[in-house]
Amino acid sequence: MSITVETAKEHAMDHAVSCCRFEAGTIIEPSNLEDPEIFFDLEESGLLKLDEKTLKIGEVLGAKLTKTVEALTPLTADMLEGLNVQTKEVKEEIVGTPTAATEAVAPTPMTTSLNGGMLKIHIGEGKDINLEIPMLSTQGSATAIEPTARIVEVQGTAATTENVAVLPEKKLRTLTKKHFKIEKVVFGDETKIEGTTLTLRKGVELEAVESQELVTAMTLEIITPAEYDTYSETIMDVQPIATKEVDNFLGTGDTRVIDGVIVMVTGVDENGVQIGEFGSSEGILSENIMWNRPGSPDKGDIFIKTTVTIKAGTNMERPGPLAAHTASDFITQEIRNVLKKMDETLVVETEELVQFRRPGKRKVVVIKEIMGQGAMHDNIILPTEPAGVMGGKPNVDLGNLPIVMSPLEVLDGGVHALTCIGPASKECSRHYYREPLVIEAMNDPEIDLCAVIFVGSPQVNSQKFYVSERLGMTVEALDVEGAIVTTEGFGNNHIDFASHIEQIGMRGIKVVGMSFSAVQGALVVGNKYMEYMVDNNKSEEGIENEVLACNTLCKEDALRALGMLKSAMADSDVKGPERKWNPNVKELNLEAVEANLGTNIDRVLNETSIPMSEKRTEKLKTK
Amino acid sequence: MKYGDKLVKMQGIIVHISDGSVAMDLKGRLGHLTVPMRMLITDYDLKVGQEVAFNISFPEVMSGEVNEKYVSNIKKNNRGGK
Repeated sequence: MSITVETAKEHAMDHAVSCCRFEAGTIIEPSNLEDPEIFFDLEESGLLKLDEKTLKIGEVLGAKLTKTVEALTPLTADMLEGLNVQTKEVKEEIVGTPTAATEAVAPTPMTTSLNGGMLKIHIGEGKDINLEIPMLSTQGSATAIEPTARIVEVQGTAATTENVAVLPEKKLRTLTKKHFKIEKVVFGDETKIEGTTLTLRKGVELEAVESQELVTAMTLEIITPAEYDTYSETIMDVQPIATKEVDNFLGTGDTRVIDGVIVMVTGVDENGVQIGEFGSSEGILSENIMWNRPGSPDKGDIFIKTTVTIKAGTNMERPGPLAAHTASDFITQEIRNVLKKMDETLVVETEELVQFRRPGKRKVVVIKEIMGQGAMHDNIILPTEPAGVMGGKPNVDLGNLPIVMSPLEVLDGGVHALTCIGPASKECSRHYYREPLVIEAMNDPEIDLCAVIFVGSPQVNSQKFYVSERLGMTVEALDVEGAIVTTEGFGNNHIDFASHIEQIGMRGIKVVGMSFSAVQGALVVGNKYMEYMVDNNKSEEGIENEVLACNTLCKEDALRALGMLKSAMADSDVKGPERKWNPNVKELNLEAVEANLGTNIDRVLNETSIPMSEKRTEKLKTK
Repeated sequence: MKYGDKLVKMQGIIVHISDGSVAMDLKGRLGHLTVPMRMLITDYDLKVGQEVAFNISFPEVMSGEVNEKYVSNIKKNNRGGK
């Protein structure tokens, strides 16, 4: 297939390959060239071999063939005269840029299937030539896929501060987190904290059961680091134990938080079916947890672990998982009530979080897409207590529409996650309490973070687009220059994720997308605004590896996304995407960000750092 | 995987919908599949009786060995045959 003048211009730096047989003397025009989009498939099927001798499209246009070439011949200097050398200089200039390369996730086209998808062309002309060319996309597919993710070059961020008057930062509000250290958790007659020992009232779980009609039983365990090697049901959620001081509202004032202990929610129904059961991910705790992720326990934390039993058959209905969370929160609330009364002298660390607006800096919004398909795919928005239940509203009930929150409301536990499946990519309640992108964006002196918007992901596409259009209007009204859209896990939420990016991008706003993608979470749809993508994957194989929080958004991802957004807002050059997932792109991007910031970024560990469970051993063996 | 390359189109019928999951029978008595809501793409409000289609290959047994960990999980939760 020949290409158009526009395509040739777009692909001036891609290889030049003849699309048909051409006689010596032909002047090369776009109509003589094959579409670079299908080179990957042609190379995979062995029909095409490109090397460094192959000229670029920009170089060959207007040149004259000195030899007759067959179809799919890579054009080289020895077959042409009158090469366009100007492009060559441009090319060298780009190659010579030392501060190379940020990130890309190539949204692998969903519809591409080499199987059977061969375009068979019969060319007559008395010579009977038969060509078999793999099709780029499924024939007649209604879903047009544009794998347009790009690589951006991170360049000096000086450009972002150009032409900008220096205005003072505006302090909007502060949140003070007072940390209390707990080193021991025991059962006793009453719930209390003495020094660094937390005592839990024996039988508190029975009252928790009473509080919820759908809950029929509950066991409460204290898991110390020595017991990390014990069996557990699937981990539903990991929550901080934090409380507001009297008369303080979420997102401002004083919060008290316990360090060293978290609440872990697990549950089954009366038939023994896990809540949110879609295949097993239960097992030995130490093999199933990626320590120290924003949303997971830190190594050394003590877990207060609930195993909630709910009425048979309610595990897939909305009230079931919610009842399990509410019953567990009954216990947390008892601890919170004690924490409120603790003596100030026991505070081991005081952390002040300040929300600044930075007039004159590039205005940016962070958008977090959260699950809203129903049942365990729900989140309680803005509870009264940090990561609590009471006072909050499920985003499903709020119609999944965009909710504007201050970064401090997010970091004060403004989102209680019910999200249950996809252990490696789910954002637990603790994730929002320690959300790295919100922290980094809020503290970045080069940008003006105006808000964090939460938007739910409904089930049906028409609902998704309804929500997405509202998001577009909301962002338009904010007059931002840049946006970062994140999503959690993979599945149909990638449809609204793509739509959010489109709605923002079509308004002329630069937008970076963040998701777990890699191999298993490859995007199912794409559009031309999905130019700047950051992959949250950490797993070796690029898959959902059943290790809690392994592939969730970490600081290193946040820094890459911010670097990319700043580059995009400064109109830096854009590189083409890789066709297949390539983890090296991420590493190169991190190095570029490090070079730009002049600091080292610690890389987080992945599943190779924890004991190998038999199921993972098995999985890796077969790769 | 040795045989995973061949995608075939499979059709099914939605037979059960809950808040969190969708269950479908595969046409031709070829099995039953339950997936989380999030893993199903739809342009329409979901109803029992709607038809679905997807491209899939055949599950292929990866090795002759059993994974004792999974065996113990299955026994513990009495989930055999579910």
